[in-house]
Amino acid sequence: MRRQYIATFAALAITLPVTAFAGETLDRVKSKGEVVDVLVNDYPPFGFINDKNELDGFDVDVAKAFAEKLGVKLKLETPGWEAIIGGKWAGRWDVAISSATPTEERAKVVNFPAIYYSLPAVLVVNKDETAIQSAKDITGKKIGVGTGSSYEAYVNRSFVIPGQPAIEFPFDTVEAVPGDETVNFQNLALGPGVRLDAIVASAGTAQGQVEATGKLKVVGKPLFAEPNAVVTDKGDPEWDAEVARVIKELKADGTIAKISQTWFHTDITKDAE
Amino acid sequence: MPSDITGAMPSIIVQPAKHPRLHLDFRLRVWITWALLLAALLAGLYQLGLDFALIRTKLPFMLGLRLSPNGFVQGVALTLLVTAMSMVFAVGLAVLTALGRLSRNPVAFAVATFYASFFRGTPLLVQVLLIYLALPQFGIVLSALTSGVMALSLNYAAYLAETIRAGITAVPRGQREAAMSLGLSPTLTAIKIIAPQAARVIIPPAGAQFVSMLKDSSLVSLMGLWELNFLAQSYGRSTYHYMEMLLTAAFIYWLLSILFEIVQHRLETRFGRAYGAPRR
Repeated sequence: MRRQYIATFAALAITLPVTAFAGETLDRVKSKGEVVDVLVNDYPPFGFINDKNELDGFDVDVAKAFAEKLGVKLKLETPGWEAIIGGKWAGRWDVAISSATPTEERAKVVNFPAIYYSLPAVLVVNKDETAIQSAKDITGKKIGVGTGSSYEAYVNRSFVIPGQPAIEFPFDTVEAVPGDETVNFQNLALGPGVRLDAIVASAGTAQGQVEATGKLKVVGKPLFAEPNAVVTDKGDPEWDAEVARVIKELKADGTIAKISQTWFHTDITKDAE
Repeated sequence: MPSDITGAMPSIIVQPAKHPRLHLDFRLRVWITWALLLAALLAGLYQLGLDFALIRTKLPFMLGLRLSPNGFVQGVALTLLVTAMSMVFAVGLAVLTALGRLSRNPVAFAVATFYASFFRGTPLLVQVLLIYLALPQFGIVLSALTSGVMALSLNYAAYLAETIRAGITAVPRGQREAAMSLGLSPTLTAIKIIAPQAARVIIPPAGAQFVSMLKDSSLVSLMGLWELNFLAQSYGRSTYHYMEMLLTAAFIYWLLSILFEIVQHRLETRFGRAYGAPRR
């Protein structure tokens, strides 16, 4: 009876190849004339849904340029951050241009063929906060971080970017509060120490939240320079090489720098190597 | 003492007649109380200083009056699509499971109880992710919509099966015996005698489960389906007006639930005809 049930669904289902062989993703993109890019939909100004109900943001514009350079159509999907960064895409998606920081843990399940921008991570506190002036002061404090984010790894002192110099942690054990970033910012806006003492986040998202709420401020020096890379699934080196080539060209011809100027009025690609 | 009470009662009963203005019937008083509670709720929300202009611009999208950029239904339309499909599959599977649960065949009984136990005993969230992320490892790559409908159907059928079983066992044995003595076939007995009487018992709890399913359909947003909750969260974060969007979604879910309840009430009345007026 259960088998019958599954069979009914299987008839409805879109079945795709399971494991990626060398060149398979590239073949698929070429033969369909379409690249499926996945990104998160709630990470302004990198990826969000605009007034016209379309996906928009820095990452979306980079994706559009990427598809154009490849000479294929772009299809965007938003399956959720955990599904993207967990790998094993089973051929559902081709690439993720979604502000992902390469970490050692993530590199075990997905590939990072090309870094396309670099932004500092910053420490955000309530505007009435006086005790926390820099990262040195967060020992023992409640620090909000996005669940599964690089910031969570940072406050837990276990953050290593592959191929980059070791990162300093100028604090002792903190009470990490992993959760939804938007909810974290709302909590911090309630007042210093009400639910959170500080938040570690990307300078890009922090700036938007500081401006929107009017109740937060960025303190201290930037915590670490955070490279952000394009993500691909494991198993197709030819596709990875192609992705790296296209991103390199988009950087070299100034396309990504131009996109950066429209969104941030500054070039966030210049430190991305 | 008893005489005191009986003596006092008539005066209570006739009291409204003395003051005609107070003689409001039950329904009217219910409506007034509802209106007051709703007014208090809205007044409280008004204090939040919400951005109503933003709600107005986002509402057509949330209601699903426009298609998503990928050309698929979104918002309420997608929520209702997911719920409706899940309801159909859940009812079918629940009937089979209930029959398995009532069966004398040990294999059928074991399969039914094992399935119901697993899907009632594990969180729906985990089931959604298992179907979406674990099945591809075995070569079964389902779309987000299929995975979502499948998870909701499997989960709710497990609960619904018990409701249906209770409904079937609530039909007195004599009904079946009477049908047999009239020479009705077992199939005809099930359809004409058992099912209509069981339905009367099944509908109220099943209706409550479908309302619950409507809201749980928001879990499919995890897989990137642009249903009501997905849009509310996404718009909320993109515009930095989280509260407005969540409240809008909450009110829409509430209105949909009320519609579900009205349908349930109608069905209840219909299947309760033989038993006089339904309970209020």
